[in-house]
Amino acid sequence: MTSAENRCSLCGEPAVVRLVEPERRLCAAHFIEDAEARVLAAVKRERMILPGDRVAVGLSGGKDSTALLLLLHRFLAAFGADLVAVTVDEGIAGYREETIRAARDLTGELGVEHRIVTFTDLFGDDLDGLLVGREAQGCTVCGVLRRRALAEGVKKVGATKLATGHNLDDEAQSVLMNVLRGDLPRLLQDTSTGQPGHFVPRIKPLAVLSEKEIVTYLLLRGYFRDLPECPYAGTALRSEVRSMLAGLEHRHPGTMLRLIRFRDGVRRSARPAEPAKALSTCRICGELTGGEVCQVCRLLEWKRG
Amino acid sequence: MQIILPDRSVRTLSRASAPIEDILLELGINPTTVIVVKNGRIVPEDVTAEEGDELRILRFSHGG
Repeated sequence: MTSAENRCSLCGEPAVVRLVEPERRLCAAHFIEDAEARVLAAVKRERMILPGDRVAVGLSGGKDSTALLLLLHRFLAAFGADLVAVTVDEGIAGYREETIRAARDLTGELGVEHRIVTFTDLFGDDLDGLLVGREAQGCTVCGVLRRRALAEGVKKVGATKLATGHNLDDEAQSVLMNVLRGDLPRLLQDTSTGQPGHFVPRIKPLAVLSEKEIVTYLLLRGYFRDLPECPYAGTALRSEVRSMLAGLEHRHPGTMLRLIRFRDGVRRSARPAEPAKALSTCRICGELTGGEVCQVCRLLEWKRG
Repeated sequence: MQIILPDRSVRTLSRASAPIEDILLELGINPTTVIVVKNGRIVPEDVTAEEGDELRILRFSHGG
């Protein structure tokens, strides 16, 4: 296709993207409108935000959470809801400083209340210190601790919902990873309802946009920052699944979206037959756990030796 | 045409014209993992690049 033929399906301006389902080309202005409309439709369809909600955005300062805050800031007032940002500072030297600066800049510019919670305050040490001797498990350890830290941040700001920046790629990768691990309970796990007294409902408004669409959105709105990649990024399986899915998405457009629909179908049909797993409270910290001691306390006990 | 790769190194291709998607695949780059800026403007990868064009390929890092 020549540049002259590459025109927006709606206005005839030069197109910046070509999208499928339905097939269309969009210029910068119409792509921004289209992406925002899809997110807004998902929020309404799944009743993610209700009047009176205080929504905490998990703001790492990276691309996905930046886009999430920008989008929610645009339309949250129309829901009669309130917005606050929570950033977890894990303490990763050479990486976190820059992303926290980006988070501060963005919340300052938008006038959004911002709270930072640190691993050091919550767990007695930063991630670099907690990982000494098990650096290869970086993502797993960080994932467990970060979820707890976010939950603590949400409690501190009194939020009723936690919005995270998971995108379509993240969600599709998780579906495939759970299938490859044979982990049906995790495939069925739905965190959107929360657990009164322990977790507020988690919402993922960006799960309808691909990573590429999110970066395009940020570039077009002038908010893309080429930030460093986390030194602990990517487990072996997720990296493999990411490459595999990227190849499939290129050769068979719509693959990621179909995986999400598959997951939703499995959840709908399997949930009534699946007995609820009994949860108890951790004997050390009192948070919910499937066993006697929660994962966070097990990790911290390992550190103490 | 001149191609600025994600690591900021520059390659010059002597081809007269080719779809950007073909150029990316030749370079071993999956088009779904990058954004292409042609002469300063983001374009879909099925657009053709001509001699004299500058293509900048942006790879977005993971996480965020």
